Amino acid sequence: MKLPRPMQLAGQAAAWTLFATVTGVFAQWPVYSPLAAGHGELKLSMAHLTERLEPCVQLTQEQLRALPPNMRVAEQCPRARAHAVVQLLVDDAPLLDTAVRPVGLARGGRAYLQAHWGLPAGDYALELRLRDTPRDEGFDQVQHFQLSLAAGESVLLNVGDGDPRLIPGRRPAATPQED
Amino acid sequence: MSARGHHGSNAMLRLLARFERPFSRWFAAECNPFHHLGALTIYFFWIILVSGIYLFLFYDTSLSGAWLSLERITHEQWYAGGVMRSLHRYASDAAIITMLLHMSREFLRGRYRGVRWYSWFTGVPLLWLVFIFGITGYWMVWDELAQYVAVSTARLLDWLPVFSDPMVRNFLTNETVNERFFTLMAFIHLVGLPIGLVLGLWFHLLRVRLPRINPPRTLMAGSLIALLALSLAVPAVSHPPADLGIVPMEMRIDWFYLAIYPMLDASSEGALWAGLWGISILLCALPWLPPLKHPPAAIVHLSDCTGCEFCAEDCPYGAIDMVPRTDERNFALEARVDPALCVSCGICTGSCPSSSPFRKQAPLLSGIELPYFTMDDLKRRLEAAVARSPGPRARIVLVGCDYSVPVAAVEEPGVAALSLPCAGMLPPAGIDYLLRVGGVDGVVVTGCDAGDCHFRHGDRWVMDRVARDRMPKLRSRVPRERLLLSWHKPVDAHGLKAAIASFRQRLEALPTAAREQRP
Repeated sequence: MKLPRPMQLAGQAAAWTLFATVTGVFAQWPVYSPLAAGHGELKLSMAHLTERLEPCVQLTQEQLRALPPNMRVAEQCPRARAHAVVQLLVDDAPLLDTAVRPVGLARGGRAYLQAHWGLPAGDYALELRLRDTPRDEGFDQVQHFQLSLAAGESVLLNVGDGDPRLIPGRRPAATPQED
Repeated sequence: MSARGHHGSNAMLRLLARFERPFSRWFAAECNPFHHLGALTIYFFWIILVSGIYLFLFYDTSLSGAWLSLERITHEQWYAGGVMRSLHRYASDAAIITMLLHMSREFLRGRYRGVRWYSWFTGVPLLWLVFIFGITGYWMVWDELAQYVAVSTARLLDWLPVFSDPMVRNFLTNETVNERFFTLMAFIHLVGLPIGLVLGLWFHLLRVRLPRINPPRTLMAGSLIALLALSLAVPAVSHPPADLGIVPMEMRIDWFYLAIYPMLDASSEGALWAGLWGISILLCALPWLPPLKHPPAAIVHLSDCTGCEFCAEDCPYGAIDMVPRTDERNFALEARVDPALCVSCGICTGSCPSSSPFRKQAPLLSGIELPYFTMDDLKRRLEAAVARSPGPRARIVLVGCDYSVPVAAVEEPGVAALSLPCAGMLPPAGIDYLLRVGGVDGVVVTGCDAGDCHFRHGDRWVMDRVARDRMPKLRSRVPRERLLLSWHKPVDAHGLKAAIASFRQRLEALPTAAREQRP
């Protein structure tokens, strides 16, 4: 049974209104926050070249002569490097404890580690421990940082080939949590 | 009921039909948006393309200039650039809605198995492409939302054992963001993905004969007006500019494209990849999961095939090729069926000029027919229906299809029904035969809602043959007033009954049908 034209038009208008409403609503609602209110973010980024498992050796002239001409390099370095063992403590509580394998088939590249945590805004004592030599126990670097984290701030703890650095983010406009 | 059973009583199909039926009444069946979901998706991409080209004229592809240029586009020329930006965004969201509805609908109707595996399978990479398209689009605004998307995407990609230097290191601080990397993303969004999408669509439609690329104008106009109204009412705007020294909070996230990121926050990179790949593999495998159905393919009888090519032209799936004659008969071509492409709809039987119940051959053969529902079967069923339609009132034979209203339930005194795999299987000569030899007063041909034939073109070919616009034509001697074509959703038995009642009233006002010869 065919509907009268006004009814048809009303139905079409209702259908398109529903379509536009669904489109418009879920294009921006519900609002999303990746962190709970009053929290900030601590990022750890490590790109660190650990020590080789075997030290480089100097070849003798005799050993060099035994090699093809294009391979006569005086210093020979085995490629494999030690795992980087990283521990991060926040107010003496362990936040991270992991061993990172250097990249590359022969484990000859850097050890990369990326991590992030949401923490309530506030002051924290950070302790970073790093073992980057072939030893089995102990740490080669232990660094302490004072972290003052604001809500919504993103702070970076950057572990490169030099000394680790704590890079503060931008403190957003004051929020009730900071008052 | 035909040999393969009736599908119109399937609970899920009935639910779907019940949901879609009001739209057929508001828009008219041939303009029902649910019958054009794929075409609507393509149409939305046209809107995205046109609005995107406009935005590109004013957009600064640099890291430092992207956000500012979009602010200027949005606010300084809100009436043009602002509307274009909103249209660009909302058409993208609308495309996700129609695309997912299109996929769900094809799944519910079982149109992803057998021959149709190819279109289904090639649709899965399209899903990925479309979502990546949208995600890279949000990246280009380089506001807080873009920052969240960029960092989360980098984390997600870094989980894969692909990059030795983690991508997320590009987004540690504002100083580490790589201008070149940003330009690369812009290039992917503006050039790479559009090319990929066009190629993907080409593959998706490669095996679809006479695909519907454009929706009806009513739908084009309606959807454009709806999106324009939405763009004016709730314009798309940016978040504050990206700043990697803060965590973006309170984001108005586009859940159509970006829902995976909150899922990532709530789970892990590995779990999200497992979910995404798991769903994709499952979707790809669906056509081959049980219950497997392999309807027998149509067969060609060279003794009755004249190589006229009508079947090859009508086959909705391109399953019929015309090849040089292999027998001694004096015809150039013969039909050859590719069983891998045949969906066993019987439309080829309806298009074959030798599919005529008037022929005296026994058993009656057609040039091309279904092995489980031959022309001989069809003739016997037509005659049985004639025999079952006695009565003092106008006698009607109702020919239906297995995917629309179950016609057996519509039978009543004086109305005898038979169901075919597709209404398009009924040759025009069958209508002539029922009226002329069967002596019935009227013939009703019914099938899937207009423009929504389960086998894509069955309703269209029937209408064209009856209108004498397509071969084989209904003979001009057939009185049109004694024929009713009536298309319905499977749940619309009431509408079909009403149409038959009205038709019967008209028939009763006509003189009694002339009967050439009772079978």
